[in-house]
Amino acid sequence: MAKFITIGERIHCISPSINKAMATRDPEPILKRAKEQIAAGATYLDVNIGPAENDGEELMKWAVQLIQSECDNVPLALDTANKKAIEAGISVYNRSKGKPIVNSADAGGRIENIDLAAANDAIVIALCSAEGIAADNDERMMHCQNMLERGMMLGMEPTDLWFDPLFLVVKGMQDKQMQVLEAIKMFSDMGLNSTGGLSNNSNGMPKNIRPIMDSALVAMAMMNGFTSAIVNPCDLRLMETIKSCDIFLNNTLYADSYLDL
Amino acid sequence: MPFNQKPQKFNASINTVEIGCGDKAIKLGGESVFPFYTFDGPIDNAPKVGVEISDMGLEGATPEMLAYYGEGASFADMAKKAAAMEGADFVCLKLEGGDPNGEDKPIEDLLAVVKEVGEAIDTPLVVEGCKNVEKDSELLPKVAEALQGKNVLILSAREENYKAVGAAAGLAYSQKVGAESAVDINLAKQLNVVTTQLGVDAKSIVMNVGSAAVGYGYEYVVSTMDRIKGAALSQDDAMLQMPIITPVADEAWSVKEAMASEADMPEWGSQERRGVTMEIMTAAASLAAGSNAVLLKHPQSVKTIANMIKELV
Repeated sequence: MAKFITIGERIHCISPSINKAMATRDPEPILKRAKEQIAAGATYLDVNIGPAENDGEELMKWAVQLIQSECDNVPLALDTANKKAIEAGISVYNRSKGKPIVNSADAGGRIENIDLAAANDAIVIALCSAEGIAADNDERMMHCQNMLERGMMLGMEPTDLWFDPLFLVVKGMQDKQMQVLEAIKMFSDMGLNSTGGLSNNSNGMPKNIRPIMDSALVAMAMMNGFTSAIVNPCDLRLMETIKSCDIFLNNTLYADSYLDL
Repeated sequence: MPFNQKPQKFNASINTVEIGCGDKAIKLGGESVFPFYTFDGPIDNAPKVGVEISDMGLEGATPEMLAYYGEGASFADMAKKAAAMEGADFVCLKLEGGDPNGEDKPIEDLLAVVKEVGEAIDTPLVVEGCKNVEKDSELLPKVAEALQGKNVLILSAREENYKAVGAAAGLAYSQKVGAESAVDINLAKQLNVVTTQLGVDAKSIVMNVGSAAVGYGYEYVVSTMDRIKGAALSQDDAMLQMPIITPVADEAWSVKEAMASEADMPEWGSQERRGVTMEIMTAAASLAAGSNAVLLKHPQSVKTIANMIKELV
């Protein structure tokens, strides 16, 4: 099996400094976060430009070229509700380190993002929900099947759809946590790839608790065949847990310095 | 049903490491397929054969080796003859006389041999220390210095002395560094990690992951090399993508099949033929398991293995 893939989430327009940098086209704050995340071990970087209704195309092109040219063509996940902006980003994207990821499609109003990924030979994150969170795994897997069929009809490789079960917050939805893990197991049994915003589980918890919860959850998810996650790679405990799980899963060969790699 | 061949494709490759200079320079590695799997993809740089000579001259040489080199041959003569041997791609000079538990030759004497050999040939050169970690930590940096500009491979940096040997060979004098472990896959990787952490370019490292003579625990060597090539290609593990060089002659010629005299073992036949057979079998097995280069000493082994490689690649 291949090594677990981490998608760094820290270039996000919800952060005031990134928001401002995007608005004023100031490279420094964006490159700083890009380099920090790569140094911390991120495989992919997510580039979230928000809805970007006005200048999305130009902004995404600028961000993609900026980050790739300064960071050895690091592969990127293009994250916005603006489809034209994703296409514009892909048009200038360098694939030498990996295909672009379209973040994201769902089984409802955003299903056409699968078409966009298929037309552009991209990977797509496929959220197993339509209108609101799936009630149970029957519904999750129905969405999964619909999106998988749609992608395959359009000529996509099944492994280019990365299914997201949607992680749920423990505070309030503690009884649903095992369902999410079971969904990951079902994706894995079908030979499919998976991903998701893991840290949702610990929303609202004290800062010192979150890395512990996130680390425990990623280990359980990896045990069930989870293949990637959207994470904060600067969370050392989480990254150490992922690297250690990769050793147990025989995804990477052990060496005493494995945490440095 | 017709056979439908599906090539096994990897998005990773073994590093290409060049040794030597000019027209005779050789390239080790570069392939994106398992050993000899030319049906899956091209192998641009076929495995290479190196011929071992020693600072101990022809001590312990077999009658056929003595005949090939000629008694009383100087180091320069030996180097030229080794380079000219049919099937030879490069020469390996072993400085075994430096071993404090053996001849304990002073470093200046060994450097004189190194210089003589280095000046005699323009064939790519590999220099192997005396295997004593303390002596090698002193000796090998000086060898790297003496051969500056010749782009030689220095064998070897080990767990105990990788800092001294790796920094001198790989950083100060821009030679290629051999990283040696003894059939220990985790240490093989670890040594590459710490050597690159010193600042040595990953693409200047060649691994010696250990060997054994066939029949003497050789299956451990095979599984080690198998796992390394698997991790390098299928898991794209950059810390295991270094090409592999395997000293074969030492092991093959020091087991009883090669050592027992004809007087002791008349039913085993010619001692020289037995040694050659052990050397050829061990070399063939090493190449099949993933070695990008083997170190041999007998002219017949060198010729046979070079032919085998030519037929397969």
